[in-house]
Amino acid sequence: MPGTKSPHYEFLRDKWIKKHKDLQATLSKKHKKSFEFLANNTKQLAVGSLGGLILLASPIQTEPPKHTQSQQETNTQTLGTIDNSAFLIADLGKVLPDTVRPLTEGEETKIDEILSSKFGMKVSEELNGLRLNRSYGLIGAEQHLARYPGDNMSTHFDGNLDDSTKYYSSGMAPGLGAWGYFATSRANMTDEDSEREKYYIATQTFLAPDFNNKVAVYRDFFKYRKMLVVNPHNGHAMVVVIGDAGPAEWTGKHLGGSPEVMKYLERVDGRGRGPVLYYFIDDPDDSIPLGPIEPL
Amino acid sequence: MRKHFYEEVVETSSISLALADMDLTHEERKHLIELVEDNLHHAILDAVLSELSDKDKEEFLILYARQDDEKIWKLLRERVDNIEEKIKKTADDLKKELHRDIEESHKKSK
Repeated sequence: MPGTKSPHYEFLRDKWIKKHKDLQATLSKKHKKSFEFLANNTKQLAVGSLGGLILLASPIQTEPPKHTQSQQETNTQTLGTIDNSAFLIADLGKVLPDTVRPLTEGEETKIDEILSSKFGMKVSEELNGLRLNRSYGLIGAEQHLARYPGDNMSTHFDGNLDDSTKYYSSGMAPGLGAWGYFATSRANMTDEDSEREKYYIATQTFLAPDFNNKVAVYRDFFKYRKMLVVNPHNGHAMVVVIGDAGPAEWTGKHLGGSPEVMKYLERVDGRGRGPVLYYFIDDPDDSIPLGPIEPL
Repeated sequence: MRKHFYEEVVETSSISLALADMDLTHEERKHLIELVEDNLHHAILDAVLSELSDKDKEEFLILYARQDDEKIWKLLRERVDNIEEKIKKTADDLKKELHRDIEESHKKSK
């Protein structure tokens, strides 16, 4: 609270934050190439722990630790020129548990703050009092969905050879998505419809808290709801919509991603699944486009 | 929190003690100590990296990210003369500056 802090504290805090910024700038300028090498080769170098990157990033905390909101707001004051994804990975690594499990309320709040700050948008595990069963889970690969009656693998890529080459092998799901076709016909299909299919995830909507008593409310809420999906291991992130319900609990997976989503996130490992964060985006004006997004 | 590889040769107790004598809340003191550690960390990293070739820097950063302190020290001792002394001097110079800041803070409040 302004006015209640010790003058000694304010004086030293401001002085030492400035000093720290100067030191970071020097470090970044002098050794930029080496830090970039590390940030770009984390996976190949089998750097199992993120601890080192966390320390290298070492964001300045401009408030005492108890003031988590303002702390997160200023956590972007880092070694600016180093790959922003490395800082995202580092910050997430401080909060995420070693095992893939539902996050605690405190962990979810910290992730909210990190993602909102890093991507410049308001994201949350809960919106309008509604939420999914979890916000951190294993994502598995889904197939393409039919966008309109008659859409099939020969029509699906609208003549885009590059997309066809990359994504044809995923095939098309035998059934429709949870909300039916994205458009009533090919002629009526908009870019928005097409993008919703391209960048969709399937979530376990049926496991949402109190789902059975709020089916209609949840249905309207989840339909094409925008979410931010982040691979915490490489910082790749995408704005997507909920386009389907699933996967079943017995699969051991917690959500699914379209072929385009999975490829971008690089989330399919040898076991066909991997952990991601998935948070609702508060976008009442529908101004945030779907697709890949970079941290700020 | 990870123990830094250089913690055996760098100590910050004099600054912690100086802060303990000031009129600060627990959170304020804790935050200032964190800032001291952050400052020292970046100053020492800069000092160490500045002594290494580009190739050795990469090797150092890989070991650093892997938190392999034993190999870090092996590398530094092989490639840099008197590395412990150089780290100590960097830390001491910065600590002197920080102590001066603390003194200045006292003077300002009089």
